[in-house]
Amino acid sequence: MALAPHRPAETLDTRKGADQRAQAARLLDNRSRVAMWLGLTLGLGVYGMFGLVPAAANVAVSATNYSGLAGSSISFTGLHNYVALFTTERPGFVASLLATVIFVISVSLAQNAFALVLAHRLQGTGRVAAALRVLVFLPIVLGVTIVGLIWILIFDPSQGPAEAIANAFGLHSAFLGSYAGAMPIVILVQIWQNVGFSTLVFVGGLRAINPDIYEAASIDGAGSWRRFASITFPLLAPSMTVNLLLAFVGSLTTYNLIYVLTSGLYRTDTLGMLAFNSAFGTSADLGYGAAVSVVLFLVALGTALPLMAALRHRERRLLPA
Amino acid sequence: MRALAAKRSRVVYRASGAVVIGLIFFLPVLYAVMIAFEQPAHFLRNPLAPPLHPAFGNFVLAWRAANLGEELLNTVLYSVVASATSTVLGLLIAFPLARRLIRRASAVYGALAAGLFLPFAIIPLFVEARFLHLYDNRIGYIILHVEPGLPLAVVLLTAFISSVPREMDEAAVLDGAGYLRYLVAVIVPLTWPALLISFLYGFLAVWNDIIGPVVFLVRPSLFPVTRGIYNFYGANQSEWTLLAAAIILASLPVVVLFIASQRQLMQSTIAGATKG
Repeated sequence: MALAPHRPAETLDTRKGADQRAQAARLLDNRSRVAMWLGLTLGLGVYGMFGLVPAAANVAVSATNYSGLAGSSISFTGLHNYVALFTTERPGFVASLLATVIFVISVSLAQNAFALVLAHRLQGTGRVAAALRVLVFLPIVLGVTIVGLIWILIFDPSQGPAEAIANAFGLHSAFLGSYAGAMPIVILVQIWQNVGFSTLVFVGGLRAINPDIYEAASIDGAGSWRRFASITFPLLAPSMTVNLLLAFVGSLTTYNLIYVLTSGLYRTDTLGMLAFNSAFGTSADLGYGAAVSVVLFLVALGTALPLMAALRHRERRLLPA
Repeated sequence: MRALAAKRSRVVYRASGAVVIGLIFFLPVLYAVMIAFEQPAHFLRNPLAPPLHPAFGNFVLAWRAANLGEELLNTVLYSVVASATSTVLGLLIAFPLARRLIRRASAVYGALAAGLFLPFAIIPLFVEARFLHLYDNRIGYIILHVEPGLPLAVVLLTAFISSVPREMDEAAVLDGAGYLRYLVAVIVPLTWPALLISFLYGFLAVWNDIIGPVVFLVRPSLFPVTRGIYNFYGANQSEWTLLAAAIILASLPVVVLFIASQRQLMQSTIAGATKG
């Protein structure tokens, strides 16, 4: 969950490097230069040691049978963990891939559609809109554990209100404890939890649209649906890029809510959840979990980059500079 | 007359939309609050009836049973120190990048911004934590939670620092201000909104982390409230009134903080979206 850098390069000063550095170097005396390098080294050191090194070390761990348990031996097993993904030795990977596809596509599309409706309603500067924006954002503040537990109570099969409503229609379900119920509920709660952020991004996008355009369209006789389809939706392209990318990458890589709701049971084990469970849950197989993580990383890279390129292309087509 | 009717129907339409949105996001929370005020016996007889004689006893029982005091203290310590450290380190990285005081500033910036999208490599981090003795202790837990906040801090602060005129740097040099003094006296006040947002988002991420405490902590006395409340749920699944009260108590501090900072948080998030 983060604000995406929209066009990273432009936030930096674009003057040519060499003369600028020379000028900057003149500005800093020796003590200042030492202070600057100390700060940089410390910051980048932390980022390297706890961000980049672990990301790269995934590959190394995935080539071992390490369990992480005290006194256990480690041996190099090459590509064995990757082979195991696709054989019957460790079933579950293909099902996990399928769960990931269902989860990511549903969440990315439905969360943004819902956020768009919410933003359309809550973009105003009035008190009611402001209060509702706070309310819609509240689940993000409450966090996955609290939100997950509240929804576990709601979907409790014996005394929860969802069961009472289902009963009124003559239906029964074990909800999170059933194959039919678990994935839809996990998707629903994931959206409920995160839609507030997407909504705020869309509110920002809506407010950036010049109201004169709507006025001109109204004079030309465009109805409200036409105004939305021909003005609002295309002009929201930059916010759409940010929101789709964040929801896509977020639902692909995070599994903390799934951990709270189902721990990945009933076919809700997306790749991230499977990696976690292999290492710290159902088994203590760090090597296999790391192999799943590496695949997840490659899937994320292989899908998010083309998606980003397509969305940027769409922006350029819809908003010629 | 027709215009008036149309206007009235528009008002009704908008009001009903607001009510529906309110219900979708408020009812689930209200439900938990309602259970927390139930007498256990009344709740068991009729789980969905509102508490006619609200009881505060559940909160007292939950506070005693769930070790919430210690867990909340741990959470505050972890969130404040880790997020403040990320924000300060973010500033120390962002200033030289924004001013291009080093070679390949764009490449370094790109590597950091990529961190916004990198999946959290929890398995190697676990191995690393064991190896570096950061496993199952407070200082280690804090150190492990500094890095996740860095990408956002650097991206936000680089954008803000770039909008501070360079002439201010030159003036400071003429005044003889050193690097750190300049950062503290000039850059910090001018980039205050970005520092605050970076801190708040980092704070929320650490506060709400559930995977970290499961992987990196073993001793219950070190647990933050997320893992504490999750375990409490595991041990008291049938005692809903107690559980709901514990859920409310566990989330009160962060809700209060949110209400105090919501104006800044919401405005900056809305503004941040269009900045690019």
